[in-house]
Amino acid sequence: MRWTALYLVLGAVFGLILSRSGAADYNFIQGMFLFEEFQLYGIIGTAVVILAPSLYLLKRRGLAAGGRPLVIEAKPGHRGNVAGGLLFGVGWSITGMCPGPVLVNVGEGKLYALAALAGVLVGASGFGIAYPKLIGIFRLPPLEVGTGEG
Amino acid sequence: MDLLLNDLTPWHWAFGGAGVAAVTLLLLYVGNHRLGVSTGFENVCSLVVSAPYFRRDSVTGSNSWRLPLLGGLLIGGFLSAVFGGGWEPFWDMGIFDEKIGWGPAGKVVWMFAGGVLIGFGTRLGGGCTSGHGIFGMSNLEIPSIVTTVSFMVGGIITTNLIYRVIV
Repeated sequence: MRWTALYLVLGAVFGLILSRSGAADYNFIQGMFLFEEFQLYGIIGTAVVILAPSLYLLKRRGLAAGGRPLVIEAKPGHRGNVAGGLLFGVGWSITGMCPGPVLVNVGEGKLYALAALAGVLVGASGFGIAYPKLIGIFRLPPLEVGTGEG
Repeated sequence: MDLLLNDLTPWHWAFGGAGVAAVTLLLLYVGNHRLGVSTGFENVCSLVVSAPYFRRDSVTGSNSWRLPLLGGLLIGGFLSAVFGGGWEPFWDMGIFDEKIGWGPAGKVVWMFAGGVLIGFGTRLGGGCTSGHGIFGMSNLEIPSIVTTVSFMVGGIITTNLIYRVIV
């Protein structure tokens, strides 16, 4: 229960930041892809510049809170990275939302985001159901491994 | 440029980026989990779809943290509106309204189609902006850099086709 509260709070803080920084805003996403707005490049760039050395130091220490060994599951590489990335990019442009902002926009009260959320769940369900057939086409990892968590 | 949400002035990008980094580090250090949103949609699917893919241990075993994280994103958007001028359902889409001008029915079809591409594409690619673009790139993982370049290329081509060629 304590842990559920932690993830709810982390998600809410993440959602608030995405909402107020423009990352969940149709105009700012189009501005990013048109190279007219620096905002999203600034957000992602700042996050990566802070995280890269932080992750390096955390991994060197090798411990999470409470002295537990730090676990970072590596994502496998496969042909789905390029194909899936391209498809997702088209979807990000069409909706102006990536997965986190789909939920943030629903929370904000943007009614069209409900249709995007329905589409995301249908798309993810279809992917999972079709996985055994997609393995051959995209040389994906075995079902137990999946394409990558995150 | 103001936000569509209550015409609010957006926070500075450096503040937004630092906040995203802080959330990522807390999730990793306290929760011992790598940031990633799109996988959470598999957890949602696993509640209703019984295909073997959704019965994997990595899905059922992560419901306890991924589902509340996704719920938190909904709450965060809601609180953002409540404390930023009030929550009210709306259909505004800015440049889409100016240049394309479809009503609610058209927007629902447009958004659903885009959503299917997001759901299918992120799972095929093994992650989204958070898991690949923020965490994976910061961790210098080659599949994440490849996927991030791919979704940026997909988005740049699509938006430029729509707003510089078609309309």
